[in-house]
Amino acid sequence: MSGFQLSAEGVEFVKSELKRYETRLSAVIPCLYRVQKENQGWVSPESVSYLSQLMDIPEAHINEVLSFYTMFNREPVGRHHVQVCCNISCAMNGARELTEKICKELDVKEGEVSKDGKVTVTRVECLGSCGTAPMMQINDRYYENLTSDSALKIIRELK
Amino acid sequence: MLKCKINGKEVEVPEGTSIIEAFKLSGQDIAHYCWHPGLSVAGVCRLCMVEIEGQPKLQIACNTQVQDGMVINNNSETVKDVVRWGLDFHLINHPLDCPICDQAGECGLQDQYMQFGKYTPEMAERKVKKRKVVDLGPTVVLDTERCILCSRCVRFTDEVSKTHELGIFNRGDRSEIGTFKDRPLDNKYSLNTVDICPVGALTSKDFRFRQRVWYLKTAESVCPGCSTGCNVNVYYNEEGLWRVRPRYNAEVNGHWMCDEGRDTYKFVNRKARLLEARVGHKDSWQSEAPGSAAKQAGVKLKEVLESEGPESVALVLTGQYTTEEYEAAIGLFQSELNSTLIYHWVNNPESFEDFDGLLLRGDKNPNTKGLLQALEQAGIDRPWQDLLDRLKAGSIKTLVVAGPENQSVFPDQLEKLEMFKEVENLIWLTAGPVEGLEHRAKPTWQIPLKTYIEKAGSFVNHQGLKQSFQVGTIVVSSALTLAEAVTLLAGQELELSAQDQILQQNRKKNFFTETRGAL
Repeated sequence: MSGFQLSAEGVEFVKSELKRYETRLSAVIPCLYRVQKENQGWVSPESVSYLSQLMDIPEAHINEVLSFYTMFNREPVGRHHVQVCCNISCAMNGARELTEKICKELDVKEGEVSKDGKVTVTRVECLGSCGTAPMMQINDRYYENLTSDSALKIIRELK
Repeated sequence: MLKCKINGKEVEVPEGTSIIEAFKLSGQDIAHYCWHPGLSVAGVCRLCMVEIEGQPKLQIACNTQVQDGMVINNNSETVKDVVRWGLDFHLINHPLDCPICDQAGECGLQDQYMQFGKYTPEMAERKVKKRKVVDLGPTVVLDTERCILCSRCVRFTDEVSKTHELGIFNRGDRSEIGTFKDRPLDNKYSLNTVDICPVGALTSKDFRFRQRVWYLKTAESVCPGCSTGCNVNVYYNEEGLWRVRPRYNAEVNGHWMCDEGRDTYKFVNRKARLLEARVGHKDSWQSEAPGSAAKQAGVKLKEVLESEGPESVALVLTGQYTTEEYEAAIGLFQSELNSTLIYHWVNNPESFEDFDGLLLRGDKNPNTKGLLQALEQAGIDRPWQDLLDRLKAGSIKTLVVAGPENQSVFPDQLEKLEMFKEVENLIWLTAGPVEGLEHRAKPTWQIPLKTYIEKAGSFVNHQGLKQSFQVGTIVVSSALTLAEAVTLLAGQELELSAQDQILQQNRKKNFFTETRGAL
């Protein structure tokens, strides 16, 4: 059980979420989000065990939720997680070519962490911003109405 | 009570009954995978669709309660078509390897396909490949490709064993059951997940690929593993027993049994049995037929009785035999041998009262209560210490021991052998060879006994419930029951039971071969 632990505020958050819903299981998604945020963007098996003990919910049940949703990362990601939407609207507006360009610019393969640990680029399904396609999400922020120039500019400015 | 009509048949059911239960009550077939009477309702397999008059859409029978006056059917073309498609969707990613699947012959998919198969598959896509032969702990093997995600096993670990190991991970057609970090599924009830798995996804390590189920016969019996007395079905063929599975009994075990109880077929098979009587001592052993060895021992018993008196003969009983055998043995001992020196061998006094809250009990004997009742009826109540004192004083010359049938739950057997070392004559009645007995220096008789599946009788479980069972199959035909052995020891002749007589007559008439017909 060594390794991951939530911050004091994180623990408070989990406790308040547990009281918020009718069933304890409902609190799993917000708590997993919190863990992901405090664990460099991914949820490790150790942190699932930690959360299981904190929430008094079996590990298998937390893992069911964790493995169901794509917004939880089960492998380490870079400091900047670039998620390019490649669903219909974005794809029709060149999102797939855009992803390739971004990968080339960063010299990283899709879904892998760059050598310096700075970025991970992944293709994702609809992020609900079809009106402003193509678009991408970097960590918690949306970047919309992209062109290859504007996208690459944003990428180059990442620290 | 609510009245409803199922496929045109009037049925009355109590309030709160689901439609699927009403189908079962009225004795009608309904296709289903995820619903299990011992588990909560999941409603995921979508196969138990029924049409309810007045409702535009079909409903699932497992999660819809019967209301008064409902008119339900599952034999209309609409329902059949839906079930046919439902089954076809279940088979999208299911491998078509029935010939090499261990579940074949008792598989839910095969059974339903006979009735609801589309026979011309309409899926052009390739099947999704998933993990096969996953080692899921000491008892179970998992094949994730064969799983149809009915979630019965997951609900079992959540609701019955309460160990919460299993879950359904990933999403869509990549979903599979598994344990967190591939930890072993290691609980005392894990093999129930194999029983309730409707397909070949979970198979028992102990049973898989050892027999085809259609070659096995089934006999009803009572598990001799502990004082709970779970009702079981025993699967056997001419080679012996192959597995033990639970049989529903609401009062005793519900739908379940423990993994330990499933091993109770092992000491029954010939490999583990004493096939002939062994007579002699450590320098010379002779094999004899069980009956004549028992007779011989009886002659010795009489000799000792005549020279030393009734106080020189004692009987030790374990809680592993049937009530009828105890009554016969105790009765004969009192009337024919005039001895009341009868003792109860308690195998594990420290954990005798243990209970795990579900089924497993610390008393690893099926019939301790029956033995105590029989002893009480006979007015015998002798503490173990009394036997030890008499052994020490050397007043007991001949000791008859009805040893354990299931020796693995008698860790103190060697210790007891040591205690009985100095007895002049030791007559040990046992189903399997007794380790350590071959080194005994004084005259010894090892006489083979029949096991629980080879005799009729009854066990009284911890609740005081008397459960009777019949002969399932015979593995060692020359072995004696405890009653027969004591009859011979007491110098009496055996009588053929009515059943045996019929069997013998039929053999004389060559009945079995005649009716078999031309091959």
